[in-house]
Amino acid sequence: MNKTTSAKSRRHSGTFVERTLTGLVRKTERALFAEEIARADGLLQRLDPRVKIVGLLSLVVTVTLSRNLFTILSVFALGVILAVLSKVPVRELALRIWLSALFFTGAIAVPVLFITAGEPLLRIPLIGWTITAQGLTSALYLTSRVEATATLSILLVLCTSWSSVLKGLRVLHVPVVFVVILGMTYRYIFVILETARDMFEARRSRLVGRLDGRERRHIAAGSIGVLLTKSFYLHHEVFLAMQSRGFRGEVYVLDEFAMHSRDWLALAGFAVLVGAAVWLGRQESLQTLLNLS
Amino acid sequence: MELAATKYAFELADVTYRYDEITALDGLSLQIESGRRIAVLGANGSGKSTLLRLLDGLYFPDKGTIKSFGEPLTEEAMQDEEFAFAFRRRVALVFQNPDVQLFNPTVFDEVAFGPLQLRWEKSDIRRRIDETLESLEISHLKDRSPHRLSGGEKKRVALASVLILEPEVLLMDEPTAALDPKSRGHVIDFLADRSNAARTVITATHDLDIIEDIADHCLVFENGRLAADGTPSAILADHDLLERTNLIHAHRHRHPDGSFHTHPHAHRFHEHDHEHK
Amino acid sequence: MHIPDGYLSPETCAVLYAAAAPFWVVALRRIKRLLNTRMVPLLSVFAAFSFVIMMFNIPLPGGTTGHAIGVGIAAVVLGPWGSMLAISVALLIQALFFGDGGITAFGANSFNMAIVGSLVATAVYRVVGRGAEITATRRVAAAGLAGYAAINAAAFLASIEFGIQPLLFHDASGAPLYAPYPLAIAIPAMMIGHLTIAGIAELIAAGGVVAYLQRSNPSLLKFTAPDAPELDSTRVRTPRSMRPLWIGLAALMILTPLGLLAAGTAWGEWSANDLADPAAREHITTVSQGQAPPSAPPEGLARLSEIWTAPIPDYAPAFLSSPAVGYVLSAMFGSGLVILVTTFVGWLFGRRREKLTTTTPIE
Ligand SMILES: Nc1ncnc2c1ncn2[C@@H]1O[C@H](COP(=O)(O)OP(=O)(O)O)[C@@H](O)[C@H]1O
Ligand SMILES: [Mg+2]
Repeated sequence: MNKTTSAKSRRHSGTFVERTLTGLVRKTERALFAEEIARADGLLQRLDPRVKIVGLLSLVVTVTLSRNLFTILSVFALGVILAVLSKVPVRELALRIWLSALFFTGAIAVPVLFITAGEPLLRIPLIGWTITAQGLTSALYLTSRVEATATLSILLVLCTSWSSVLKGLRVLHVPVVFVVILGMTYRYIFVILETARDMFEARRSRLVGRLDGRERRHIAAGSIGVLLTKSFYLHHEVFLAMQSRGFRGEVYVLDEFAMHSRDWLALAGFAVLVGAAVWLGRQESLQTLLNLS
Repeated sequence: MELAATKYAFELADVTYRYDEITALDGLSLQIESGRRIAVLGANGSGKSTLLRLLDGLYFPDKGTIKSFGEPLTEEAMQDEEFAFAFRRRVALVFQNPDVQLFNPTVFDEVAFGPLQLRWEKSDIRRRIDETLESLEISHLKDRSPHRLSGGEKKRVALASVLILEPEVLLMDEPTAALDPKSRGHVIDFLADRSNAARTVITATHDLDIIEDIADHCLVFENGRLAADGTPSAILADHDLLERTNLIHAHRHRHPDGSFHTHPHAHRFHEHDHEHK
Repeated sequence: MHIPDGYLSPETCAVLYAAAAPFWVVALRRIKRLLNTRMVPLLSVFAAFSFVIMMFNIPLPGGTTGHAIGVGIAAVVLGPWGSMLAISVALLIQALFFGDGGITAFGANSFNMAIVGSLVATAVYRVVGRGAEITATRRVAAAGLAGYAAINAAAFLASIEFGIQPLLFHDASGAPLYAPYPLAIAIPAMMIGHLTIAGIAELIAAGGVVAYLQRSNPSLLKFTAPDAPELDSTRVRTPRSMRPLWIGLAALMILTPLGLLAAGTAWGEWSANDLADPAAREHITTVSQGQAPPSAPPEGLARLSEIWTAPIPDYAPAFLSSPAVGYVLSAMFGSGLVILVTTFVGWLFGRRREKLTTTTPIE
């Protein structure tokens, strides 16, 4: 993909065309980054995708089930360890996942500190607002949960090629037709992204100066309209191409998976971890360990 | 079900095809012998792609009939799974736009798609995938996603995805369009290769440079009608025909001395190094 | 609007997965019957299209930009069933691959945006556009309002899902385990942004696309408008004014909060007053396993609720001081305020108007 585009769009990012272009380029770059890591030789990359999907998704569910901070933070730590062992650059992870989650959820969680009923913990001088222990705990629940689940789910896609994720989904009894649709959707996201990018780049070269709001809205809606028309044409062509190779409505796929002993081991490992975390997460007594109230 | 070996791969009688108001093919009659290598020539919009889609049993004529290997090629006939599978195996189409044809998550899945839909044995499929990828020298791309391939690689994967079926008839829609010179060379080499001679190859193109290499017979289309047919050398020699059917167009060039010069000019992909008026 | 993991309790997620599942099954069956072999490529390409346009920046009045989900467009082109499947697939890829929206919350996100969104959009489009010609201005307005209503319905559902979390799920100390804001805060907080920015982005996208398709490819609009009279191609259309669209929008903006009001005090029950109300405290005590919550409302919550009721004068009818009215009004004030501010900012910065260098139509 064309790297100069993003630099250019950042330089004069002012109009919605530029902003959209930047967004489109970022998405493709991010996908490329993921594909690179999925090819690295790390712990998670070596596992059977089915084990990874089942294991990491169970951990995500465990985090949401957990009723104490200790467990959530432990699973978060586990996620970080898995990331390191799988050669996921922690700096990238921190920037792309942790910081952005912190900004978003952190901003949402701040007022919680003051408005949650509970024991006063701290009174902010000057404005006189009171932080309650329950407020603080609640804010921590939210942010730690979001960070932990975001880390685990990003590990799944970073350490598994998309095609393996798809095949692994079949194991969760997702119907074939749905898995095929997912695969084709992902495929055509890139085609349509590229079409959109070309369209916006062409548009940018034709536009000089600022447009008024009506004109801009006109162009934005028109662009979506063009893309819709092209998508409609694309779907028709794809349909013909599928038919041409014998597609008659039902899809057949090759499932090629081999469970090695290390996959069974990993599965057992995940089972133990998930079991332990579920049990820990139910322990009310642990709440006093980190809770401030 | 086996389709019999016949003299003609396709027989078209008075075929008309319309898209809403536009008549893309207009009362077309022709026969295509098995084993021939045919170039279908014509300017954009002359009906080449439409013809290939009719031959591939994707569209069906509004008027007239098409027979393939002696059997009528109709919507009803294609409803029959046995007939459809036999036909799909025998006739394959490579679309002009590889993005349309490569809809699977990986190259491996792409090549496996055809045989899987035709319910081949899974072990046969695996073996044939390896052989096909090998023969097109793309084994190293096996696990790649199509969106990460270059134009030339995409074209080769698209070819692999149909060649795995070992079709008798190969329909190619503008195989050299939008390729860099090296990939274009690969495609021409493939089509010119006499070891493919057992096959019937029908190539739609407006790239006049390649037709002597890839075809022994040309059909020239104009507005959905057959304007002429003949050997590549005969067609290339007929400037009036080529100009009339917009395959070449007269260009006026200004020369350094300021005089104008008009000459016929092949309609193909290249840059002009002098000004146009 | 894409609810991440961690905001909803597993119970809520499970319920919403269960609520979404039958819609997916029915939609899949209907689409399969309707489209037959075409279903797979159609849904795939349209899901991809939905995914891509979710990234578009839509210029809004006043100079800001916003993102649309595209549910209005999808419902108008594909109908409710195709739309809910395409948007669900787009949401799943966002969740799985790009980390937008949670995996446990995928059921909730699909239910809100894809399912309810598509149904609401279809209903509005059918009612407002009923019997109009394919190229009628009314269809543009209908699509715009469909998008606007759909996104707000989805946001409203999401806000309820958020709002019930602190009531139902907290730890022994009474600290909320998931989304911490009660309905009385969650609803206005979500609705302000959606009645304005996100809603208008959706409206512009859906209305604009229909206007575009009317000019360039009206056949794409026929699928969901079987009742449209045949086109009269001899009639020359004059450029249309968008005024009906903006009037409709204004009506919706006013009516939505009033609609909330009609649903009564249900949401007011858990406001600051409750902590002082013995019955409510009883309830909270039981669910928080024996620990009594503090008897006085925390200052912060009291202050927030004052913000809503402060502008209402003392002599107003009593019901106006109820918290429900409070946040409905605050939603309206908020919406109005955001519009005013963005318009003002846009006016300040947008006065240097330049022109398109070319009038080439969009290809
Ligand atoms: N899907 C379609 N819908 C409407 N018109 C079409 C469609 N495909 C092709 N046409 C029209 O049919 C005519 C023949 O097109 P085509 O067979 O694609 O020609 P060629 O491949 O020689 O460029 C053209 O006028 C074209 O515009
Ligand atoms: Mg063509």
